[in-house]
Amino acid sequence: MANPAAAAAPEQSAKAKKYPYYIEKPLEEGRVKQFLDIFAAILRHSNYKPLLDIYSRVVTRCARCAGGCQIYQATGDPEDIPCYRSNLLLGVYRRHFTLGGWLRGRILGDPGLQESTIDEMLDAFYHCTGCRRCNLECPMGLDHGLVMRLARNILSEMGIVPKALLVSVREQLQGKTANTSAIPAPAMMDTCEFLEEELADLTGQKIHFPIDREDVEYVFFPAVSDYLLEPDTLMGNAAVLYAAGDQDNWTIGTKYFDGINYGLFYNDAILGRIVEKEIAEVRRLRGKKILIGECGHASRSAKAFVPTFNGGEAIPVVSIQEYTFNALEQGKITLDPNAVTETVTYHDPCNLARSGWIVEQPRKILKSFVKNFVEMEPHGAENYCCGGGGGTVSLDEVHDYRMKVVGKIKAEQMRATGAEIIVAPCANCKKQLKELVDYYKIPATVVGLHDLILRAIRFPEKNGAATSEETYEAGEIKENSPVSV
Amino acid sequence: MHDMLQFARGPLFRLAFLVMALGLLRLVILALWGIGQMIYRARDHNNPYSKIVKTTLTWLIPIQRLHRIRPWLSYSSFLFHMGLIVTPIFLLDHIHLWRASIGISWPGIPKTAADALTLLVLAAGILLIGIRIFNPYTRRVSGFMDYFLVLLILFIFSTGFIASRPYNPIPYETSMLIHVLSADLILLLAPFTKIAHCVLFPLVRMTSELAWKFPPEAGKDAAIQVHGEVKPI
Repeated sequence: MANPAAAAAPEQSAKAKKYPYYIEKPLEEGRVKQFLDIFAAILRHSNYKPLLDIYSRVVTRCARCAGGCQIYQATGDPEDIPCYRSNLLLGVYRRHFTLGGWLRGRILGDPGLQESTIDEMLDAFYHCTGCRRCNLECPMGLDHGLVMRLARNILSEMGIVPKALLVSVREQLQGKTANTSAIPAPAMMDTCEFLEEELADLTGQKIHFPIDREDVEYVFFPAVSDYLLEPDTLMGNAAVLYAAGDQDNWTIGTKYFDGINYGLFYNDAILGRIVEKEIAEVRRLRGKKILIGECGHASRSAKAFVPTFNGGEAIPVVSIQEYTFNALEQGKITLDPNAVTETVTYHDPCNLARSGWIVEQPRKILKSFVKNFVEMEPHGAENYCCGGGGGTVSLDEVHDYRMKVVGKIKAEQMRATGAEIIVAPCANCKKQLKELVDYYKIPATVVGLHDLILRAIRFPEKNGAATSEETYEAGEIKENSPVSV
Repeated sequence: MHDMLQFARGPLFRLAFLVMALGLLRLVILALWGIGQMIYRARDHNNPYSKIVKTTLTWLIPIQRLHRIRPWLSYSSFLFHMGLIVTPIFLLDHIHLWRASIGISWPGIPKTAADALTLLVLAAGILLIGIRIFNPYTRRVSGFMDYFLVLLILFIFSTGFIASRPYNPIPYETSMLIHVLSADLILLLAPFTKIAHCVLFPLVRMTSELAWKFPPEAGKDAAIQVHGEVKPI
């Protein structure tokens, strides 16, 4: 099952495999000591020690996870088994941070962590997309996605981060524009004005993108790339908010308007700093809730980590899909069942669906106005990743890997449905799926959920739906219920 | 020979059992301590406990999930565990031993049932080892202990099975001695090997879930400890 190219030219392939992504600086000497020092520091301050302790004791290496992993299914390479990958790090933990491992190392003469192990790690941990599908199939309940994150965290403190992620985060946290796409606030406002005009042409309504409004219910953070790439999604978002009567009740902040959080993929400190920026902007505008646009990891990083980085106090986080679902349930929006006649399928972003958080809501929305809705198999919490998870979609240098290996199953799934429209409510998934559709020549279009809603939304002659405050309470979203995300 | 057998299933067994019990107890306490520490350090205490417990219970008897992926591995592993848990505890001969050594007893299962279970464990165990060896993928992740522990269990079950059979080629007491000694060995090994999952299993999912609730300053503090400051990106 091994890759035939690898068998033919092992030298070359090993070299090609070594650094699958660009990094900014050449790797330094003495990486082993560096790695162990950083590992020790992280174990000391974080919650990972109890986790690794229990993992390294119970891991049985049954490799059942292999059956759940789409990368392994595509390559058949034993090194792509989630358990094998996690064992790279668990082995280091055992050998260097437990008494038993230290003794065993002494007796058996195991030198422990080597430069070559680190090389293997920087390859292996960026092969994984962190979709956490393996977690569903692990009888023991190990979360290989979390171990992968920790490994990336250690590597990132050594300076080993894919350049594409690093550069985006640098602009987001230290740059003038404070977002990953480096869009200056005036440009964002221009885009919004333009979209308002478009919306007026499309719908005949005066739909606004309220900027810097204070004391509103929702402060909106889409994946910032939407302003460049997904105008229809944004217009759909604004149209729904308008139709539901929240036109004056949401806003986009000019100081910080990016939902993207690459920290979720590789570094705890950065994850925290980005979440804190979101919180600060909500505070500045005295908003009540965080509204996240169509984006999987943006939704999850806010939902799961706002309480952590806000002193334990939760600012409610609402995904735009939850919002739209509620508006639909309360009969605030009208969707024309004749507007979309194509066959439609829905792709579940891992960050939304794996925990069962947002699975049914978008389906109910779609089924309410789409006549030909088909499902991929499997779907929902057991979906396959688009193939660009864990930040890999931003790495153009791994394009081939994303297409040929990770995205292969997704492409087959999409083709099997025969759908003409593939709905993916996630900036990340959308980019990857569009590339897949091109690569595999699948006769389908990839759009966001609100792109379709924009096509179908209808407004009453006289808009009388400005009574948001009172009516909205009835269908309050349960923001504070404990979710695992 | 007789004295050695008496020693193996008397004092030696009690010692092995004590090591196992205390060792496993230590692991449970450490794991609970770890969980407590995680909760204490995290700022967000909104955890989906009921969901965690539910998932853990589902996986305790995972019948509806077995066929989904790697069915051969899953079924043989499940049956292996069933036989492994039931037979040593409920075999009548063992219950006599329990009564002799720790003074309590309980109802057992009929000998034919125990025999059937033993054969089941042997078949499933051989299958498991076979999968490990002949499936090139599993072979890559396997280490010495992964083979040794299953082989040891197979050895214990087979010596126990043939000890009292008329066709047993070796004398009863010799085979019994081997049986008891190897059983003592596995009890001794339990806290120090992956067998520890027998008691840690209920806590793994809990730990996985809680670990996502980070202590807010952890990332920053670790970076400061390593670099002396929060370095610009």
